[in-house]
Amino acid sequence: MEDLTEMLKGTLEGCVLEIIGGEETYGYAITRRLNDLGFTDVIDGTVYTILVRLERNGLVQVTKRPSEVGPPRKFYALNDAGRKELATFWAKWEYVSSRIDRLKEGGR
Amino acid sequence: MGIHDIIEGKRHWRAHVARVKALPPDYRIVYNEMQKYLFKVGPVDLADGNLLAGIVDFFAEGAAAGKSVTQLIGTDVAAFADGLIKDSRTYAELYQESLRAKR
Amino acid sequence: MSFWDTVTGNDLSRDWKAFETRAQALPDDYRAAWEQIKGNLFAYGDFSGRNLTPVADTALGLLEESSAEGQSVQEVLGDDIPGFCAALAGGNGAHTYRDRWREQLNTTVARKLARLGG
Repeated sequence: MEDLTEMLKGTLEGCVLEIIGGEETYGYAITRRLNDLGFTDVIDGTVYTILVRLERNGLVQVTKRPSEVGPPRKFYALNDAGRKELATFWAKWEYVSSRIDRLKEGGR
Repeated sequence: MGIHDIIEGKRHWRAHVARVKALPPDYRIVYNEMQKYLFKVGPVDLADGNLLAGIVDFFAEGAAAGKSVTQLIGTDVAAFADGLIKDSRTYAELYQESLRAKR
Repeated sequence: MSFWDTVTGNDLSRDWKAFETRAQALPDDYRAAWEQIKGNLFAYGDFSGRNLTPVADTALGLLEESSAEGQSVQEVLGDDIPGFCAALAGGNGAHTYRDRWREQLNTTVARKLARLGG
């Protein structure tokens, strides 16, 4: 689906945390994963800005590894602070989505 | 302390500029314009040089993957630049804070 | 220059002297712009010089970078040096000026990329 940019704002960072939490990975692979998931509008640049912020905020552990093509790649893994942040993200997500579901179903 | 250290104080700067020159032309254009923008905005994080070096790494990787710079970051370069410094304070903000502290 | 006088003689003068040394190495039009920038930053009044040092350093760094690239000072700063300084110091109008920088960045990139034929 297209035109999700505004709606994804604020949740994309959580999605990236979740992907990194699954296994150590690098920028392009994260973008591809999001694209395959159906978030086709997400581009490498957006993922990169998120990774820069995760690193600056001390939520990830970064390792440079050589790649078969081009310069060495930065691989990202969650550290303890990152795992905590991820848990917080899912808790918030549960809260928001359950309220929105309830709203849609006409309950209160 | 400031930008000056990146430009003159660090030997790395010349190597950094050489790496920018090695990028394909479209990447070089975007990098140079972005750097100028970041210098004006003045995020505190610029001083250690990692932000700029990281952008060149990222661009070099994109170029090696055969992508154009707009495929990589889209056409809204300013949004990309702002995304990089979203939670980094600027010298202007520090200055404004110091004024408020005095009142 | 009154701005210079203000900061000379206090513990900050070394920073500012270093700025002046760097400014001397700039081309004439850039040096004139630096004088104007200093004068305008001084309009921010209530300051000891300490908190404004990094702001001035940023401005000088931009001038050094751009002149090394062979750009004209006009291209870099435009006509509105007071506005530029307001944005640097984060004063009134800083947001509109930053919006303008943002717009300038995107249009310059678009223009230069189009010229590349990409």
